[in-house]
Amino acid sequence: MDAYTNSRRVFCTIVPPHVLDKLSHHDDPLVAGPARRTLERDALERTRRRITTVRGVTATLEGAPSSKPRRTIYDAEHETRLPGKKMREEGGTASGDESVNRAYNGLGATFELFLNAYGRRSIDDSGLPLNASVHYSEDYNNAFWDGEQMVFGDGDGEVFLDFTIPVDVMAHELTHGVTQYTANLEYFGQSGALNESMSDVFGSLVKQHVLGQTAGEADWLIGKGLLAERVTGVALRSMKAPGTAYDDDVLGKDPQPGTMDDFVHTSRDNGGVHINSGIPNHAFYLAATALGGNAWERAGQIWYDVLTGGDLASDAQFTDFAQLTVAAAQSRYGEGEEHTAVLEAWAGVGITDLGARGER
Amino acid sequence: MRISVIRTGGFAGIERRAELDTSERPDATHLAALAHQAVEKGAAAAGRGVPDGFHYEITIDGRTVHVADPHLSDAQRELVRTVLKEGA
Repeated sequence: MDAYTNSRRVFCTIVPPHVLDKLSHHDDPLVAGPARRTLERDALERTRRRITTVRGVTATLEGAPSSKPRRTIYDAEHETRLPGKKMREEGGTASGDESVNRAYNGLGATFELFLNAYGRRSIDDSGLPLNASVHYSEDYNNAFWDGEQMVFGDGDGEVFLDFTIPVDVMAHELTHGVTQYTANLEYFGQSGALNESMSDVFGSLVKQHVLGQTAGEADWLIGKGLLAERVTGVALRSMKAPGTAYDDDVLGKDPQPGTMDDFVHTSRDNGGVHINSGIPNHAFYLAATALGGNAWERAGQIWYDVLTGGDLASDAQFTDFAQLTVAAAQSRYGEGEEHTAVLEAWAGVGITDLGARGER
Repeated sequence: MRISVIRTGGFAGIERRAELDTSERPDATHLAALAHQAVEKGAAAAGRGVPDGFHYEITIDGRTVHVADPHLSDAQRELVRTVLKEGA
């Protein structure tokens, strides 16, 4: 009995659905049975996730969720214990520390885009407080989302500057929170690259929203202003031209591909989540610039619909995501230019045959 | 004692690797103590970590452990910082 239970657990977490599908049609019922049950349970869990997502929109535990952010910025004081010392609360006066103020404003700008463009009330759509810590560790060249809050390093000043400088970097981290509360894309392989791409897409959209730029006016760079002066590069990633953001003696060359032909197979970086995100990033750029105007309106709306709609599986591959964007464009805007722009954007990165759903 | 560190992931997704030999250093005893503590609390296989978090692969005389931000012990953090000559 124990061995049976264990084997089911292994089936559930490791074997990809397409393999389970094949196994479920196996002649041996001992093989087919558990695979079929796992598929059924997987489908059930997806339905549950969809219900949770839909309920999230109308959740009113303590009255209507606020349309105002609830931000708290902490100073980690160059240590690694989180969150650190409280520096600025919602509505509080500006701090003497510019990193604190930038984080406060960056979180506000991100909250505003999600609210104004998509009607989303914070990360969980139920008014979740937004917490961030600045001055994490010493000379720390990174920023991350720890599952509950945003964390920003100061950079070493040699290669990287303060991670609170670019608003798109702060919005990128907060979007990891939105993804966690919605599609919860697994941070590995193609689903991980999609998770990264969601953060770059909405990170860039927050910046464009702040600057009041149209798709044609935007630079589509991620992390501009983050690299120290001596580094040869403009940013960390380019959605417009993946692979061209930097080429430097110390940093090396931007490794991002822009099309499926150059997809990078690697075990590092959780299977290249920060590398292959260049492909869906570029698809979004192509769709947004083909449509023109404010990128957060139609292109952003379609991407947001897919991220939060409940049909995006946590282990989704690029093609799955692409198919859902085509369907979302159709259901929201009909058979017009949006549908065409999305199809052509994916074709532009080498993802084709998206006409019929379920065909791969 | 040879200590090598490979750092992957992070917001930038840029890989860093460095190695040092404690026999060439005046702080060899201290580094050996850190190394001992670091492998004690590391995992044998890499986990997925948190979004944009750094992953570290620490190898000490052929034995490799995996750790990921933000869950590094003080010893692991000091060791990584010393070997990579970069903030951790």
